[in-house]
Amino acid sequence: MLQDIEEINRGNVSELHEWEERELRNIFALLVVGSFTGIPSPPVHITMELLPEMEDDLRIMLNRIQTAHDPLGELFSLLDPM
Amino acid sequence: MIRWENCFRYWIQCNEYKITIVKHQLTNKMKSITPTLNFFVGKGGVGKSTVSALVSIKNSLNTERTLLVSMDPAHNQGDIFKADIGEKPLEIASNLWVIQVDTDRWIKQYLKETEESVSRKYNYQKAFSIKNYFKVLQFSPGIEEYALMKAFESILLKHQDKHLIVFDMPPTALTLRFFSLPKLTLTWINELTKLREKIHKKQEILSNIKIGKKQIETDSILTKLKNMRENYTRLKDLFISEKTRINLVSKPDELSQSESIRIHKKLEDLGKSLQAVILNGATNEASVEYYKKHIPARQYPLLPESSKALIGLENLREYAKSADAEIEKILKS
Repeated sequence: MLQDIEEINRGNVSELHEWEERELRNIFALLVVGSFTGIPSPPVHITMELLPEMEDDLRIMLNRIQTAHDPLGELFSLLDPM
Repeated sequence: MIRWENCFRYWIQCNEYKITIVKHQLTNKMKSITPTLNFFVGKGGVGKSTVSALVSIKNSLNTERTLLVSMDPAHNQGDIFKADIGEKPLEIASNLWVIQVDTDRWIKQYLKETEESVSRKYNYQKAFSIKNYFKVLQFSPGIEEYALMKAFESILLKHQDKHLIVFDMPPTALTLRFFSLPKLTLTWINELTKLREKIHKKQEILSNIKIGKKQIETDSILTKLKNMRENYTRLKDLFISEKTRINLVSKPDELSQSESIRIHKKLEDLGKSLQAVILNGATNEASVEYYKKHIPARQYPLLPESSKALIGLENLREYAKSADAEIEKILKS
């Protein structure tokens, strides 16, 4: 039973960290491809150099855009397991 | 069962590894740069190209291996030497080679390399036409000075055997953007690195919670950022080092004076002082006073008007001999 409690706690903590990590990567992607979104952007050669490595970050950013219109839904889904 | 997808992925990884090794070898080579670099900057029409040619000729007459590089898209060196000069070094005289950088070719090559690299990684995105996007990218701000920087790095690597490399620079705006590129790039790289390190730390915490203490994979973006930081720090250090000399060419008229002061201030912001302020067409010491008062430099050589048109190797040599002492000031400054 103690093992189950530990598993649940680990799950809760990791979900919060995962959310934070996703948010940071979203900000990173927004910064790097900022020229497409109107945010002050780094010189084009930095974007071009990093772009081949940014597959996952771009995916996170695109998912974040999809949930941007439903912040309450996202908040409840985050608090759900708690 | 063999998974061809995995084999293909492995093949790509091997190729990328090879590219990294070559890049690393080039970077190491760059660490031991020996030639002195002399840049000639100034307002359009003050005679940067002619002064660069004269200094190069004088240095080659001193039996030192000299390379003259025209970075100016207007490419006057071909007209000055009355020769067909391209990207391949042309031996104009003994100990003197001349190159004219083709900026458009460097932009095209850079975009092609980036396009290939992006297509390799996102090879499943067949519907997404990357080619058209890259066609537009050549008109992006910042591409021109980046292409010049690529050409500059390549020239440095190829011409380690030279004693002196003389750069005839483009008009002021592009020249200043070129010199600020390493500093500007580093500012962005440092900020992005900080954010990426934060992400990496979060990933480490996550991996500790989920799978216990286990080393997580190296972040390829963080590695790339660190490599870029190393490269641009080296370029920035090279620009402010003693080996790099920036000479300002000017004429004794009001417009040239004002622009010269602006160039000096911008270079000062970048931490670079001028080696020489060359007064082209100046007749007496009085015209130097204004420059001595407003623009600090080590030397203020005066180059008087030539009675002959300074075109063709013979005329240039003749003038270089007559103004020997003043040109020597630029080389020894």
